[in-house]
Amino acid sequence: MDPSLFADLAVAGLITGGIYALIAIGLNLQYGLLRIMNIAHGEFLMVGAYLTYALRTATGASPLWFLPVSAGAMFLLGLALHRLVFRRLAATSASPEVLEERSLLVGFGLMFVMQNVALLIWGADLRGYDYLSDPIQYHGVVVTANRLLVFGVVVTISAALMIALRTTMAGKAVRGMLQSPLGALLVGVDTRRLHPICFALGLAMAGAAGSLLSMIFEVSPSMGESYTVTALIVITLGGLGHIAGSFVGALVLGLVESFGMYFTSPSLKVLLSYGVFVLVLLIRPRGLFAR
Amino acid sequence: MIARRLVGALAAVAIFALPLYGSPFAVALGLACLMYATLATSWSIFSGPTRTLSLATSAFFGLGAYCTAFALGSLPWPLIIFLGGSVAAAFAALIGLVVLRLRGAYFAVLTFGLGEVVRHAVTYIEKSQSGTVGRVLTDTPPAGTVYITVAVLAALAAVAYRTVARSDLGFALRGIGADEERAATLGVHVRRAKLAAFCLTAWFAGAVGAAAAVRWTYIDPSSVFNPFIVFQTVLIAMVGGPAKLRGPILGALIFSLLAELLRLRLPYLYMIVLGVLLILSVLFLPEGLAGVRWIDRLLAPRRRARAEASHV
Repeated sequence: MDPSLFADLAVAGLITGGIYALIAIGLNLQYGLLRIMNIAHGEFLMVGAYLTYALRTATGASPLWFLPVSAGAMFLLGLALHRLVFRRLAATSASPEVLEERSLLVGFGLMFVMQNVALLIWGADLRGYDYLSDPIQYHGVVVTANRLLVFGVVVTISAALMIALRTTMAGKAVRGMLQSPLGALLVGVDTRRLHPICFALGLAMAGAAGSLLSMIFEVSPSMGESYTVTALIVITLGGLGHIAGSFVGALVLGLVESFGMYFTSPSLKVLLSYGVFVLVLLIRPRGLFAR
Repeated sequence: MIARRLVGALAAVAIFALPLYGSPFAVALGLACLMYATLATSWSIFSGPTRTLSLATSAFFGLGAYCTAFALGSLPWPLIIFLGGSVAAAFAALIGLVVLRLRGAYFAVLTFGLGEVVRHAVTYIEKSQSGTVGRVLTDTPPAGTVYITVAVLAALAAVAYRTVARSDLGFALRGIGADEERAATLGVHVRRAKLAAFCLTAWFAGAVGAAAAVRWTYIDPSSVFNPFIVFQTVLIAMVGGPAKLRGPILGALIFSLLAELLRLRLPYLYMIVLGVLLILSVLFLPEGLAGVRWIDRLLAPRRRARAEASHV
């Protein structure tokens, strides 16, 4: 295989994988930690993308300014949703499995509502704007500048989160909850305060990912669905509640898709990612990195 | 008791004879209602007692519809319906061997994914075989035939639901839903029971797909494998309550009327209303409308004690 083609595919795979990482870590905070199966995760990404798009076209400023705005808005929305819906759902569910099932259904409801509100406001057309779309060439590998920027931002956010989980007190509390919800409660972790924050943080990451995606792709009300499924595949690959695993799993899936599509056909992308999903579920149901 | 039977028989006659006296609009509305009722009832056969969220309905429906697309004109109509159901059931048996080992969200997402995989596979095959995607349906049967077919399927689904609920299989499925390990320990053949119910569910979804395909003159993968088919089925079953037969039927009635009222004029608002209803029912009516006691009292004041005694 031609080395520059290999490099092309690898770079494309890593960039896609980096975006997957951000989305998947966000979902892992909700599903791995709280057992809330938020199937509308991709919808928050979509709203984040539209927010950035709308602000960018209204003001003309760099979309990077609106990345924290989108993330912050989704954080607040997450706090509100947890307060109104998911707190009650968790309190009235007899077991984690029941919570999983019921939150999945609520997620479907949210998906209906959010997609159609977006359709009402922005319509079904694809929308986009131009931002740093000049190609950059380096040793025969061609990448557009916006993709490199997006990759840099996702790696920074993911790394910051992982470092915060390792070093800060709140991060340790979250890791404690991931390992043992009851144990964390016993040693004095304030789960009543941390749960809504983790949930909202998950949505904020989806919002940030959406904001970044709007810089390279066009946005549409149905853009989120496929990302939800991808995120679920990634957290299965990396292991439930395993944040670093999600990051590596996302890069792996990005590479598999990039190389797989080159060797088969772009229309088989969905088959490829589901193939990975089925294989992992059957062979390593607790993730690639489970000990 | 006799009065109830009489009312039931009259209702059945009224439903089946609708094409004779109803306007085309009434027949179309009735057809939609019966379709939803069949899909939601048959979905509840498996997913109700086992409490396992299956999202494969779109895949089954689409496979049935494609059977019609291929067989229309060369096979007699009832055989096409049977074939559509059987292809879906065979597909369910095949994937069931693998996916029924999983539970919870993984099962839900994987069954949903299978629908997407089948849709993409069909698109891919059509593209590489004939260069075009989608098929035109010619010499479709009259609307009355389609209506009667779906009405028969709805009746069969209701009978199947009741029969399974009262059989050993029904007990096994409820046992699995309560606690799968315990059921297995007590001698329930878990995988066989799940597979049987899953295939039964698939047969009905496939048969409805085969019958409904002729409502469109042109079918393509994105319309017959549409994820909205399964979302709506789950929604109807969950809002109605899958644990009792009247749940999915009540749900189908409400949703077909709601769809008629809102969908054409305000499509987005219709979907928003669906979403809000689903969230509210999950939060406040975990057993669905059928679990609300005043409906119980309204519909069957005397039979309740007996129903509770037999737990059906």
